[in-house]
Amino acid sequence: MRYALLVQGGPYSHQAAHSALRFAEALVRRGHLLETVFFYHDGVYNAARLLAPPQDEPHLGDAWRRLHAEHGTRLQVCIAAGLRRGLLDEREAARHGKAGASLEAPFELTGLGQLVDAGLSHDRLITFAP
Amino acid sequence: MSHESTLPEGDLLVVLRHGPHGSLWLREGLEAALVAAALGQRVSLLFMGPGVAALAANQQRGPLEQKGTLPMLEMLPLYEVESLLAVDEDLDALGLAPERLAVPAERIAPTAVAALMARHPLVLNF
Amino acid sequence: MILHILNRSPLDSRVYRQAMMAMGPDDRLLLIEEGVQGALPQLVRHFEEIAGRLFVLREDLAARGLEGQCDDSVLVVDVEGFVTLTEEADKSVSWF
Repeated sequence: MRYALLVQGGPYSHQAAHSALRFAEALVRRGHLLETVFFYHDGVYNAARLLAPPQDEPHLGDAWRRLHAEHGTRLQVCIAAGLRRGLLDEREAARHGKAGASLEAPFELTGLGQLVDAGLSHDRLITFAP
Repeated sequence: MSHESTLPEGDLLVVLRHGPHGSLWLREGLEAALVAAALGQRVSLLFMGPGVAALAANQQRGPLEQKGTLPMLEMLPLYEVESLLAVDEDLDALGLAPERLAVPAERIAPTAVAALMARHPLVLNF
Repeated sequence: MILHILNRSPLDSRVYRQAMMAMGPDDRLLLIEEGVQGALPQLVRHFEEIAGRLFVLREDLAARGLEGQCDDSVLVVDVEGFVTLTEEADKSVSWF
């Protein structure tokens, strides 16, 4: 089946992102396609470029990037939720006159329409929230 | 009170369970609803628990000039979002009689919520 | 059939009542994260009406030292079982 996940919890503050990643890994083990992870609400912080957890803790940013690299999962970040929380790619940083981007590929800023599309076009959408 | 046969069907049910100003849940839930509607999806809104407070009249801007969410609710008809429902027990718990609502919503019994969920292929909870 | 997913403890919030309110007669409820507390014999009475349709996630029990302490009426699943539950349901709704 084609799955999408909606992640609404920030990294480390709540278990939501850990739960989503654990579920994601089980999904692909069972042969499902995890096509899209959409980050919304405080979930957008998962895309922060400079996450630097202690070495003995799981690195959530790296785990998302691995999912993308190994399974082609799209990592979509709501642009409205991201901008108001300071998550800007280079283009948005330039547009807002900020020095430096706080979000980079494979995470991509995208509109909420992508969430609606993911919800309606995939076989399943599973939400993980704080 | 609505009977099951009169409950709306649609593509997306957005459930709003948080009141205005206290968090971004309500605003971001409404943003999702508006975008879906703008894309031509049939959207229903269900206000539940503290979320029914979103419907109250006389809401104001926050102390830092936060806009609040009432202007978004008032825009819903422009997006052809016409199915606004609220759990009657929760409205009553906050004393939100129909004349105290800024935006009219259909009162539904708690027992109708399950049927409403079943009538929408996608449910987003905020 | 809808799979409802709840991550809040009945000790902490009334969200479990919202989830129960929204459940149809065949719907299932999976307790995850702090929600697994609801599977303990002391709290499971809150879910009496859905006996046989209440599931709890093993990994979240184990992480909290609660594995083996659930009420017998609760069905324990691992994360693969969580995936199966989502396969079997038409859709899922998360409560938090």
